[in-house]
Amino acid sequence: MAAFPIRDQAAIAGIGQSEYGRFLPDSQLKLGAKALKAALDDAGLTRADVDGLSIHLGWPLGVDYDRVAESYGLDVRWVSQTWLHGRFVTSAIQQAAMAVACGLANVVACVTAISFTRERQILGGPGDAEGTREDGGTHGESPPYGLTAPAGGAALGMQRYMALYGATSRELAAVPIAFRQHALKSPHAVMKEPLTLESHQSARMVVDPLRLYDCCLITDGAAVALVTSAERARDLKQRPVYVSGMQGLRSGRDEFIFAPRNLGINQQPVARWRPGERDLLAYRMAGIERKDINGLYTYDAFSPLVLFTLERFGFCGPGEAAKWVQNGRIGPGGELPMNTSGGLLSEAHVGGWNSILEIVRQLRGAAGERQIPNARHLQWGTAWGDAVVFRN
Amino acid sequence: MSEYAKPLPRITPDTQPFWDALRERRLILPFCAECGRAHLPPGPVCPFCFSDRLAWRPAAGTGTISTWTVVHKAWFPAFADDVPYNVVQVELDEGPRLTASVVGMPNERLAVGLRVVIDFDHAAAEVTLPRFRPVEAA
Repeated sequence: MAAFPIRDQAAIAGIGQSEYGRFLPDSQLKLGAKALKAALDDAGLTRADVDGLSIHLGWPLGVDYDRVAESYGLDVRWVSQTWLHGRFVTSAIQQAAMAVACGLANVVACVTAISFTRERQILGGPGDAEGTREDGGTHGESPPYGLTAPAGGAALGMQRYMALYGATSRELAAVPIAFRQHALKSPHAVMKEPLTLESHQSARMVVDPLRLYDCCLITDGAAVALVTSAERARDLKQRPVYVSGMQGLRSGRDEFIFAPRNLGINQQPVARWRPGERDLLAYRMAGIERKDINGLYTYDAFSPLVLFTLERFGFCGPGEAAKWVQNGRIGPGGELPMNTSGGLLSEAHVGGWNSILEIVRQLRGAAGERQIPNARHLQWGTAWGDAVVFRN
Repeated sequence: MSEYAKPLPRITPDTQPFWDALRERRLILPFCAECGRAHLPPGPVCPFCFSDRLAWRPAAGTGTISTWTVVHKAWFPAFADDVPYNVVQVELDEGPRLTASVVGMPNERLAVGLRVVIDFDHAAAEVTLPRFRPVEAA
């Protein structure tokens, strides 16, 4: 077996969050400060211990790491910055893990703070510089034809998937219904009412075939995870949650961010793709097999992404996911619980970091009535192929 | 004509010949002189063999809908009066796919596999947008 020197060398030692909600009175930076304070308290660390910053900031502030460090009075010696996209959650964690494992920093604060509802009309509109930039954004946006929001790309992917494999909107509904069931057990979740198949099917169509409840929440909130070396983490207050295996996001002409590899969107070739060894590096690095994963967490901005994630990592075959998720398989107590705090679809849109915090709670055995029994290995993984395997 | 409120494509040196030809009601594609393949969106090199030797040649203008959607939400004010409107991806017979829209038929007829042929929409003075019609209505 290949040696993976980074296996279990970094750990999440503290987590914190602000409240999640809509039209919160606090500024984005204030929400972030609340989350950072909570995370430091959780870990038993002080602000002076933070010497690295891996930021994944969102709407509408942008990416200014220096503004974050200045606002919170940090003095950091290592920085990585991405901007608010599901595709960069893994990058932010991986870079933090590599930084502490390589000795570039002792404690990296991964900071996400979002105030979507402050300027919600911008998203997908004329002020959305991402969707309207040259050649459109990354999600297949095509501004001259009015495809200006990320949801459009997920719709293009799902529409073709349905045509090729016979999947239906009623089957897709199993995803948001399961996540709502999880959310009803989460004290932080914005959504408080059950979701039924009938209410899913009767909700308005947003961008065909995506109905209202196939699209994630637009909320405000912040989440912080503190990453440090495994050695340091063992001396701190909480049970460490180790970064055990990881792999990066995939890109190239075979890929479209909101479709399985080789589905035939944008310039993708058409083939029934199944993951091979190099697509499943994270398991090998962690020294486990896929069947050892006790729960799966993903960036569920749109419900089809959950199906595509299951196929990406081979939990089921190409075209099988819509059937596979039926009968409570990904819900509470299911065979493979997914996004157990409700995800972006039902807990809150904190850029996916709400699910990273949930992974940590689960692996500490502190997830209350959502607890996955004997949770040992949990995976963060997305439809675009990146993954982090965490263990306790 | 100058009051066109919808976004226009941002034209770069790589894409300029594509948009220039559309204004003359011609669809052309960058073909690789080394490997013979056409690609979209027009890029600086052949993405298949990395050759610099690209040559623009006419495309047939026919293709097949590979995916589609209908937008029901007015995200963008300039499109609000068009809701619900379609956006499609067309796999051209030369291979590359083009994002556009279909005109000349109701959205209910949209389907993966539908044969379409190009139409030209002189949307603004400086830009002609490719659109498609079902083959039998062309």
